[in-house]
Amino acid sequence: MQSPALPVPEAPSLVPPALRGILPLLIAIPTLALFHWSLTGSDFATYLLSVVGVNIILAVSLNIVNGMTGQFSIGHAGFMAVGAYIAGYTSLQLKEVALSFLPVSASDQVLFMLALLVGGVAAALCGFLVGLPSLRLRGDYLAIVTLGFGEIIRVFVQNTDAFGRALGLSGIPQYSSPGMVFFWVFLVVLAARRLAGSSHGRSLWAIREDEVAAEAMGVDTTGYKVRAFVFSSFFAGIAGGLFAHFVPIINPGSFTFVRSMEIVVMVVLGGLGSTTGAVVAAIFLTLLPEGMRSLFGALGTEGSLAQRVDQIRMPIYGLLLVVLMLSRPQGLFGTKELWDVLPRWLPRKRRGLA
Amino acid sequence: MSANAQPVTPVTLDTKAPPALLRADGVSIQFGGLKALTDFHLSIQQGDLLGLIGPNGAGKSTAFNVLTGVYQPSQGQVLVRDTKVNGRKPHQINLLGVARTFQNIRLFRALTALDNVKVACRAQTALHQSRLGLGAKLVNAGHNYADWWKALLLTPSFQREERRLTAQAEHLLEVMGLSHRRDEEARNLPYGEQRRLEIARALGSQPRVLLLDEPAAGMNTREKADLMVLIRKLRDDFKLGVLVIEHDMKLVMGICEQITVLDHGETIARGAPAEVRSDRKVIEAYLGDSYLESHGGAA
Repeated sequence: MQSPALPVPEAPSLVPPALRGILPLLIAIPTLALFHWSLTGSDFATYLLSVVGVNIILAVSLNIVNGMTGQFSIGHAGFMAVGAYIAGYTSLQLKEVALSFLPVSASDQVLFMLALLVGGVAAALCGFLVGLPSLRLRGDYLAIVTLGFGEIIRVFVQNTDAFGRALGLSGIPQYSSPGMVFFWVFLVVLAARRLAGSSHGRSLWAIREDEVAAEAMGVDTTGYKVRAFVFSSFFAGIAGGLFAHFVPIINPGSFTFVRSMEIVVMVVLGGLGSTTGAVVAAIFLTLLPEGMRSLFGALGTEGSLAQRVDQIRMPIYGLLLVVLMLSRPQGLFGTKELWDVLPRWLPRKRRGLA
Repeated sequence: MSANAQPVTPVTLDTKAPPALLRADGVSIQFGGLKALTDFHLSIQQGDLLGLIGPNGAGKSTAFNVLTGVYQPSQGQVLVRDTKVNGRKPHQINLLGVARTFQNIRLFRALTALDNVKVACRAQTALHQSRLGLGAKLVNAGHNYADWWKALLLTPSFQREERRLTAQAEHLLEVMGLSHRRDEEARNLPYGEQRRLEIARALGSQPRVLLLDEPAAGMNTREKADLMVLIRKLRDDFKLGVLVIEHDMKLVMGICEQITVLDHGETIARGAPAEVRSDRKVIEAYLGDSYLESHGGAA
């Protein structure tokens, strides 16, 4: 090329480059195992923890499309439904199967992992099929297409005997555990962060900033958008699969448009483009109804307000969004991450830029 | 001035010369009933420094957009090194070695200066995607997904590639005198530096032809003078062919070796700066025929 071949500098790191890829995994898996074994909470705590985890996966994965790439998808629950039903169905079919060379519980976990991956891949495939034609469109059109897709999936499931119609699928083996959920939370956060820091992530940011310029600079915008969409759908499918394995029953009512909007609210609240923002917002918005429930319970309005938390939740979300848009339209963290925002309150290393 | 009786001669094609880096052959484009560009010819060789001028709405930017694949020509063809690129997408044309800047700066505003350049550097390492068969498309898609996996797994080859991109982008920032802005968001840069950053970004995609759309817009006299020197230097150092759209006559006349003048989408003159300056049609287009009448037809 025209400029002289520049020397490639060595990596300024203590960790050998070959190890850097898997180092976080080596640290996280033992930690998660500890977390798993030490967890002795009630069934409800376990359930709540799993829901929080699933919501984090959903929010972080949607953030890749809505935040980093700047496309507006509002059908995430549809991909979650695909994952939930396909993974759940797979597990139901494999219920009687056990891998003879493994102990029963280990065999179950292997089959569970397999079902999850099948669900994730099915959702990714749907993402590809929906994304390929619609990601050529810009702005609102994608939102409309994804909205339509979510509804199609729900109606399809509602009318398919194999998926139990409106009654849903029940009897799916309850393989899931908070340990497993948070293993996937960890994976999605790691993947999102690595993506954001890589040249692919930069191309996605470039598309968000200026699609015309990105295209002129050699970024295959449609290809990148489709890949981001597939990536995001895969994790939505995984979240659905996890969900299917810890709730007693999955039915189409769990994957409505309202569910999609909940995830969008999490992403917007956290800040479009901020992975840790999505995590924080997902935790906050999942625990908020529970907090309200206990608050109303403590106030002695038993039986009235406390039971209606699920109904008044959406208006509260709406109010929250209005307040947010007025006071902080970029979301809690904007495009920054937790560790960029924290130093304002904590004495940490100074960022030396005039 | 009676020398303008004969029509503008189209670019003559010399078969012995190496193929033009970028060539437009009788390109016309129509938006509904509006003829934005009619029978446009242009040929850029390595080392050329060409100018494209004309009054507002003459079709200059349209010509740029046709050359870079934003618009499809209704007639005629655009060739990059003898490869017909009609119908290809802008990013595919960019990969063939044609980079551009924009009239109204279009940087990736929230990215740092370095990242802006790295986006363009990265694209050039991507596989060439031309219109191939389905099989080749699948292979390409497979490679693209594999590339993402490399990024997620932080493979050593991926890390090396990232460091190479950084080094390349830093080099380009240095060439454009922007090293001190490396980690600053593009939107926080002063106007002149944003213009320079856009050129650095365009160079990041390792072009052989650089199209500059009003690079001096909004610059003061001194910055313009610096820019003239810079454009020449870039052409020589990077062995480019350069095409400049510019309103500033002093700049165009100062650096361009050949100037094409457009008016209402038609090429009304082509030649060396001195010829163009005294061309009756050009003066008419810029100043109106009343000017010619009152000044006896001479410029």
